[in-house]
Amino acid sequence: MAGLELLSDQGYRLDGRKATELRKVQARMGVFAQADGSAYLEQGNTKALAVVYGPHEIRGARSRALHDRAIINCQYSMATFSTAERKRRPHGDRKSTEMSLHLKQTFEAAVLTQLYPRSQIDIYVKILQSDGGNYSVCVNAATLAVIDAGIPMRDYVCACTVGFVDETSLADLCYAEESGGVSSLALSLLPRGGQIALVQMDARLHQDHLDTLIEAAMTACKGVSKVLDQVVRQHLQEGSTLRE
Amino acid sequence: MCVSGDKLCSVEDCILGTGVYLRHGYIYSSLAGYVLKKNEGEQLPVISVVRETEVQLLPDVGAIVTCKVTSINSRFAKVHILYVGSTPLKDLFRGTIRKEDVRATEKDKISLGDVQSNYLLTTAENELGVVVAHSDAGEPQMVPISWCEMQCPQTHTKEFRKVARVQPEYLEA
Repeated sequence: MAGLELLSDQGYRLDGRKATELRKVQARMGVFAQADGSAYLEQGNTKALAVVYGPHEIRGARSRALHDRAIINCQYSMATFSTAERKRRPHGDRKSTEMSLHLKQTFEAAVLTQLYPRSQIDIYVKILQSDGGNYSVCVNAATLAVIDAGIPMRDYVCACTVGFVDETSLADLCYAEESGGVSSLALSLLPRGGQIALVQMDARLHQDHLDTLIEAAMTACKGVSKVLDQVVRQHLQEGSTLRE
Repeated sequence: MCVSGDKLCSVEDCILGTGVYLRHGYIYSSLAGYVLKKNEGEQLPVISVVRETEVQLLPDVGAIVTCKVTSINSRFAKVHILYVGSTPLKDLFRGTIRKEDVRATEKDKISLGDVQSNYLLTTAENELGVVVAHSDAGEPQMVPISWCEMQCPQTHTKEFRKVARVQPEYLEA
């Protein structure tokens, strides 16, 4: 795109951030009383709502039951008003199914499913406003919702989308950067152990740059995990003061 | 206070309770809540993480559950599991009581063709069996006469049920 510099000479991006700076994260847990767990998370302009039900008996196809673990059922959808043009098909299209599958794989790595054999945990995420980094915001929102539901997890799951432009890694891409031809990589991490739950990339990147990009993603995820940690602790404290 | 993934202590100092898991010789928390350390005499203290709202219990093998019969067949009865122990469940689970599991006698072999995707229950103990029953007449509850009969107080008809001999401490008003 002529005239739009993704990274200026002084090191500023389109929205005025530096290369490694994350967008502002605001989150709230326990938004819905009816669901077992729920959370609302904003990362810059991207807003997502996550709701968790479970663990409960397997609905529908009994044959899917696993005798030693719980199955995690994820559904990702975008609100019709979430993008610049009204979205015609909010769920059921290929992108949503792929995203749901990625979310499922991510959470299967983190949730201790062996404690709930033959049952099902449902995670529903809805994007209310989409401004880049959809997968990452979904994962972060869903982590908070799972913690709110009291489902045991090994660790938080934090995710971030990073891109590579002009020999620098940009952390937490916004929509303009994602569609501006940046090679973007989405990574979800279990921050304390440093274990990667999922890496997803469908752009072209020279293999020499891969290590730096993954390093940048892991640092960004650790930054996100600090914010999520604060949100959880604050929610716990509020819950206990209400009790007293 | 702790959150998921917090390292609590080493496995040599404490025994694992609920809400924690073991990894590489250290005990980590798996829930966001409060750490509770209980000292049980001479053994190592039990460490667990608790939340204010109770975590959903699942019926486990060997648990005593309270259920309501939803449909009866000549081979088995389908039930909805409502309580595990004395805690009510938020969502109901389905279970099956096969004919041969009702009494301790008459045990048959199961065929491999049976699809087992529900919880299998049995009432083949003295303390297990029917606690509440209604006669064909409807309203009032039937009164147990023996371990296999119940009588309706209104119509005085007797019906066969495998009655549970509930321990007195479990009987509440």
